[in-house]
Formats: sequence, C-alpha cells, structure tokens
Amino acid sequence: MQATLPTAPAFDRAAERARVQQERRRSAMIDFSVTLGTIALALLVGFLVMLIVGKDPLLAYSSLLSGPLSRSNRTGRWIEDATTLIILGLSVSIPFRARQFSLGAQGQMFIAAMIAAVVAIYLPMPPVVAVLLPLAAAMVVGFLVGLLPGLMKAYLNANEIVSTLMLNAVIVLLYDFLLTNVFTPPGSQSLRSELIQPNSMLLRLTAIFGVNLGRANLAVLFVAILVIAVWALLNRTPFGYEIRTIGANEKFARYGGINTRRTIALSFAIGGAIAAVAGAHLVLGVHQRLIPGIAAGLGFEGIVVALLARNNPLFIPITGVFYSYLRVGGDIMEQEAAVGAEIVQVIQAVIILLLTAQVLVDYVKARSRRARSVSCAA
Amino acid sequence: MRHITKIYPNGVLADNDVTFEVRAGEIHALVGENGAGKSTLMKILYGMERPTSGQIILRGKPVTIHTPHEAIALGIGMVHQNFMLVPSFTIAENIVLGAEPLRGAFVDRRAAIAATTRLAQEYGLSVDPEAVVDAVPVGMRQRVEILKALYRGADVLILDEPTAVLTPQETHELFAAIRQLVNAGKTVIFISHKLREVMEISDRISVMRDARMVGTIDKREADEHLLARMMVGREVFLDIEKPPAQRGPVVLKVRDLEYATEAGVEVLKHVSFNVYAGEILGIAGVEGNGQTELVEVIAGLRAPLGGVIELDGKSIAGLTPREVRRAGVAHIPEDRLTNGVAMTLSIQENLIVDRYAREPFTRGGLMRPAEIARNSEALIEQYAIRAPDGTLPVGSLSGGNMQKVVVARELSSRPKLLIAAQPTRGVDIGATEFMHEQLIKARNAGVAILLVSADLSEVMSLSDRLAVMHDGRIVAIFPDARGLTEEEVGLYMLGTKTMTPAEIERNW
Ligand SMILES: Nc1ncnc2c1ncn2[C@@H]1O[C@H](COP(=O)(O)OP(=O)(O)OP(=O)(O)O)[C@@H](O)[C@H]1O
Ligand SMILES: [Mg+2]
Repeated sequence: MQATLPTAPAFDRAAERARVQQERRRSAMIDFSVTLGTIALALLVGFLVMLIVGKDPLLAYSSLLSGPLSRSNRTGRWIEDATTLIILGLSVSIPFRARQFSLGAQGQMFIAAMIAAVVAIYLPMPPVVAVLLPLAAAMVVGFLVGLLPGLMKAYLNANEIVSTLMLNAVIVLLYDFLLTNVFTPPGSQSLRSELIQPNSMLLRLTAIFGVNLGRANLAVLFVAILVIAVWALLNRTPFGYEIRTIGANEKFARYGGINTRRTIALSFAIGGAIAAVAGAHLVLGVHQRLIPGIAAGLGFEGIVVALLARNNPLFIPITGVFYSYLRVGGDIMEQEAAVGAEIVQVIQAVIILLLTAQVLVDYVKARSRRARSVSCAA
Repeated sequence: MRHITKIYPNGVLADNDVTFEVRAGEIHALVGENGAGKSTLMKILYGMERPTSGQIILRGKPVTIHTPHEAIALGIGMVHQNFMLVPSFTIAENIVLGAEPLRGAFVDRRAAIAATTRLAQEYGLSVDPEAVVDAVPVGMRQRVEILKALYRGADVLILDEPTAVLTPQETHELFAAIRQLVNAGKTVIFISHKLREVMEISDRISVMRDARMVGTIDKREADEHLLARMMVGREVFLDIEKPPAQRGPVVLKVRDLEYATEAGVEVLKHVSFNVYAGEILGIAGVEGNGQTELVEVIAGLRAPLGGVIELDGKSIAGLTPREVRRAGVAHIPEDRLTNGVAMTLSIQENLIVDRYAREPFTRGGLMRPAEIARNSEALIEQYAIRAPDGTLPVGSLSGGNMQKVVVARELSSRPKLLIAAQPTRGVDIGATEFMHEQLIKARNAGVAILLVSADLSEVMSLSDRLAVMHDGRIVAIFPDARGLTEEEVGLYMLGTKTMTPAEIERNW
C-alpha cells in the first residue's frame, strides 16, 4: 500500500493556468452577452409598458431608438450629453473605487461652472489661455470642494453621503443667489449671465464639419485623454493602488502601511476636480454662459454611468455613450410622440435595474457551466 | 462520495475524481496539503458547493445535496474553517438560529437557553448560553458551532481544522467531546494539519494531495512519518534543528508598555523585554492574555497608553503602521482575513502592499506591472503557493495558501524585526517545515524575531528564549528554551507560577 500511495501527479501549473485563462475569457464573453441581452430585454419591457399606455407605440419607439441619429443636430445633442456624462462618470468612479460614496459631483459641477464663467467673462485673456485658465480655476475649486467632505470623512469619520448632499444644497442655493443678484446684468429680460468672451468658447463641431451638430464641441476629444488619464491613475500609479486597496479592505491597507486617511481625502478631492471639468464643459462648450440650473440632475446620471461600468474607467465611455443615447432619444420621443417623460424614465430604470443585477450574470454563468459539464459527462 | 470532481468558476480544479468513504460511528481524519481540496470536498458534502460531477451516497442511497439546508435535513452538520456566527447575538440565539423555538411569533429565549444548556451538558461542551459571541474566546465560539450543528440534529459532523485556533488545553477538551459524540453514535470527519492530533483522535485517515485522494488507511497502520510522506510525496522533517543563536545587539526594546482598550480595560500591564538581533524570542500564553494587543501595539496598529518601544535605539511608540514598517518592522498578523490580505485584490497586488511605491515596483511615479508580476512569480515559486496565476484574487486561494501569501510578503521585506503572530496557523506540514526553515534562516541572518504562537510545541522548539504572558503581564522569561517541558511552561501560562521581577529583569 505504501508504495502505491504517493503517486498523485504534482500540481501542474501550466495546465492550471491555461484552464484558468480559458475560463476567464469565457466568463468575460458571458458578461458581455448578458449585458446586451439585458438591454434588449429592457427595451422590450419598455415597449410593453408603452403598448399599455401609449397611443402610437411604434412611432414612439422608433423615435426613442433612432431619434438621436435622425437629424444631425440631434446627434450633436447626443455627443454633447455623452461628453458631460463620461467626464462625470470618471469623476465619480474615483471615490467609489475607494468605497467612498461621495455624492458631491452635483455641487462641484455648479460651483465649477460658476468659477469658469467668472474667469471667462471678466478676465481678458489671449486664445488658448482663455480656455485653460477658466478650466484650471474650476478644477482647483472642484478639488477644494471635494477635499472638504473628504477630510471630514477621513479624520472625523463624518458620513460622506450626508456631508456631500448638504454641501450640494448649499452650493446650489449660492449659485441661484449669485446668478440672480450678481451675474445677471441689470435690465436683462431673462435670468442669465453675459456670454463668455469668444476666446474662451470651445470650438463647436458644427464649425469643423460644416453640418449642424448643435452645441457639441471640441471637448469630446479631450474626453479620450481623460479616460486614459483616469485609467492610468487608478491602475498605474501608487495612488491608484492605494485607492483600490482601501476599497478592497481598509484594515489591510492600513496594516500594509498605506496612509489611508490621506488617500481617502484625496479620492474625494480628485473626484471633485474631474467633476469640475464637466462643469467647465457646460460653460465653455455648451451654454457659453451661466443659466439657471445649468447642471441640474446631472450628478446622479454620472453615478449611474459609473455604476453601469462597475467603476471601470475603460467601460465608462461605453456606458456614457449608451446612456446619453437613451436620454436624448427619450427627449425626442417625448416631443415627437407625445409620450410622457415618465415612460422614458421607466425604461431607463428597468435597464439600470437589470444591468446592476449582478446576480443575473452569476446565474447565467452557473447555468452555462452546468450545461457544459453535463454535456462533458455525457 | 464517489468520483467527485469540482471545478470552481475561475477554472481551478479543486477535486479530481475523489472517492471518499466514511463509516458510521468512526472518527475519520482528512489530511492533505494546503489547497489539496479538503474543504471543497466537505463543502460539497454539506451542500455549499455543487460537484461538477460525481455522486454522494448516504446510508446506501444516492442523494443530491444542493443546499446546507438539505444537508442538515439529512443529518449532516459542518463547522467551518472560518467561523460563521452572528457576533452580536448571544450564544443561545446563535445555536437556535434558523430553527428557533417559538412562542407565538417570538423566539422563546428561555427555551433556547434551556436547549443550549441541555446539549452542552450532554456532550460536555461547556458554553455560557447568555454571553454575546463577540465577547467570548475562540475556543468557546467553536463549541458553539458544534452545538449548533448538534442542535439541528447532525449525525455526521464535519470539523474543518477545528484545532488550528485552539490552545492545547482546549484541544484536549475538544477531543474529549468528540469521543463522547462518537460514543453517542455520531460520526465525525476531522480535518487537521497536525499529525500528532490526527494520530491521537482518529480511527481511519484519508490523505488528499493535489485534488486527488491518495488513499485511506487505518490508524494502526499509520505513523506520522508515513502520513507526512503521503501528503507531501517526500520525507518531511518534523523536528526543528537549528544552530545555536549568534545573539547580536538589542533590536527591539520594550519597557513598561501599557495598553488599555477604549472601554478602559487594562490589557498590557508594564510589559518589558528585549529582542536581540539573531534570536527568536517566543511568547507563550493562553490566547487572550494580551499577546494580540502586544503585537498590534508594536506594529503601530494600536496606540500605547504609556511606556517605551525602541527599534535600534529609536522610539517607534505611537507611530503609524507605515512609519513602523519604514523603520524596519515586518508583521505577520494573527488574523489574516482582516489584516493580512485583501480578498478581492490579486495575489500580485497583495504581495506588494508594503512596497508598492518603491523601486522597482514604481519608477517615475508609475507602477510597473512587469516587475509586480515578476515579484509575484518569484514568491509563488519560492513559497510554493498553490496558485496557477498571480492575477487571481487572493480570495480564491485555500486558507493555508493565503497564509503563505502573507508570510512570503513579510519575510521578503528584509526586516530588522519580524513579528510573527501564529505564522503557521492552518498551514500544512510541508509548508510549516518550510516556514520554520525560513524563520531560522532569517534569524541566522541577524533578524530579530518575536514569535507569538498558540501552538506550544511550536514556540518551544523554535524559540531561543521564551517569555510567558499571563493576564497582560510577562510572568517569566526563560533564557534558554531548550530543556523546558510543556508542563512547566503550562504552570506559568495558567498563572500558578511566576518569576520574581528581578529574575525576569535579569533575562530581559
Ligand atoms: N471559492 C473558490 N473559488 C475559486 N477557487 C477556490 C475557491 N475555494 C477554493 N478554491 C481553490 O480550490 C483549491 C482547493 O481549496 P480548498 O479550500 O478545498 O483546500 P484545502 O485542502 O481545504 O486547503 P487548506 O488546508 O489550505 O484549507 C485551491 O486551489 C483553492 O485555491
Ligand atoms: Mg481548508
């Protein structure tokens, strides 16, 4: 017996590794197809809802699905919205990766828009500088506005959800007050600031391509750079490693020698600086002035975009483009088919619910594995 | 269990055509290296994992067990390697959880306590039914887990590494209880890495290796060396041999160290000792006598209340863990799941937590994946971590292999002082032998080592000098750990004997 016992083959690392990699590819494929399937399913559910309540579901649906591509200016709207949402998604993903639920992007955008506008309206500057300086000023302020709740969380353990929401409320009130009492020129008919100086206006795509692309502007090129920068920050810098480690296990991070407080506070601040880019985009690229509620509701759409991408900066452009398509399509459906905004929201909600249901993905994976092993056994 | 094969979703083949047979009324030990697939096999039996293929036959009939619920209904109970109790509930509440005695719509607390007391007496597993789980020592938590399984009517009881967290006395009590269970007609499956225990308690022994069943033998045909050879596939040296210590200058100096919990309970009371370069100072003691706090205060994870901690003559008291590490301290933490690893990060990333910002892992502000991968490949190879790929999350490793990741990282950091708390807890014999070798190698190279272990035979054979802690104090320091007996040290551990302060000071 003794002689025959120790004959089990040694652990074969190469074979194990090959199997693990194959398994991983398969699992990524399933992830992707489940996402596609979910979208189809959500659109179907939306269609059913519309069948029940709508007058002309086919018209409504075709305007939702093809709306953003039906006219060039609508495509422009889609590009413009996607730009903002992607930048916002990137901003949110940074504190989220450290497991800090900062909801401050909303307020950071408002205050950044205001700062960018002040510089771009009142400070005469040569070209290029006239874009970079307002942007930089906005980012500095966004950084500081993010840092505050970050410090409060890191050093005083103040709940970040509460502090960021309060800060948002304060900033929005301040914005409204200053817009009404300071920035709107006396005698103006409507509540809005002057236009920013022409040097500060981001070049519109309409001017480049000669087709009407609405307010979409050069910022869209900047997005690609920002995506790579955030990806690199999270995955290729010590700071990103600190963020991800804290997000995975804060005690371990501390034990290992990471300055957890500093990193947590900075994750809020850097998120704030990036949200400020989105705010500056609204002023320098989209509206070219301050208008009431310039960033209203956008902060939360940014969170959706980040969550759909599971806080992975490389997926955020995809989810941002997809989600803004749905937003713009929804608006068009509302106009063309006289479908209430509620239906659009229902469809959006269904998609988000289904996509965030990780359970579903796991279920499909488990099913497919079982099916496979049964067929192997047979 | 016949021809069981299990492939985890990440592709790891954990069990490969394993056939395992347990007879009613026996104590059956399951042994094997870390990651051999023992826990997985038992989780399959308990319905927590589904086999990819294979069949389970219980009392002659094929059964399918898809959930722990079904397992319990079939009379199978399991106590896990990592406990699964609700920390804020009382012991009685935990025991009846999921099958509460009800009075109206409410849990009948008195009935729960009565049931607990009755079971505890019947099997000789003493617990305090009204204590909150969080506040009781590990040994008692484990008895709670066992009682919980018995309460739900388990006939077959699976104990996954029950002794890894126990002191020798507690192990003794556990074995007495297991014998009582078997006398009452129960069947016990027992997983352990400690062959001495296996030889002591079991009737038959099954050995697994590399996801396969190597074989099952009768205890009478077995001895520790044979088992070790079956597990590892080569001769294993169970005795520790080390050259005499070349004691250098003092590296760690601790004087009058005091620590109290936030609630004001004094945990460390005027603790003083030295650790010298090139020696291993062992700290023996029943768990819960301040060892954990001592280690965490030195490592910077807790702030001391008073006293001196000096490393190479410079104070490190009250510094952050980062600063303490910078000063040259490495720390193998006692609780690897909380402090030692981040489960969702990859093995590669776990291996650099103390050095990610330095060359060669970061250069010019950017991290270098190729270097990080190379580091992990080297350590996986060197420490025989059973992982196909360094990019897998640490959470998918077996318990012992997670421990190896921690040890590999800490030992490879070239420290001046290494604090090793329970370094071989849950680690298989081959790896234990290897880690002992590594500790001794580090010591021979002049590292000062502070070793805390609940395994008395381990501290006694590994240490050059031995200190004993009782009730937050150092009650003895033996200048030479050789020639001590476990009984003698035990008397100090229980506080029945203490050295005089002058005697202790002489041995600082
Ligand atoms: N949930 C999981 N997902 C993926 N792989 C896993 C999972 N659990 C365990 N494994 C892998 O399966 C193999 C067997 O693990 P298992 O926990 O059964 O080992 P073990 O024999 O109990 O080891 P130890 O003595 O270290 O506890 C290991 O290679 C491990 O990495
Ligand atoms: Mg195990």
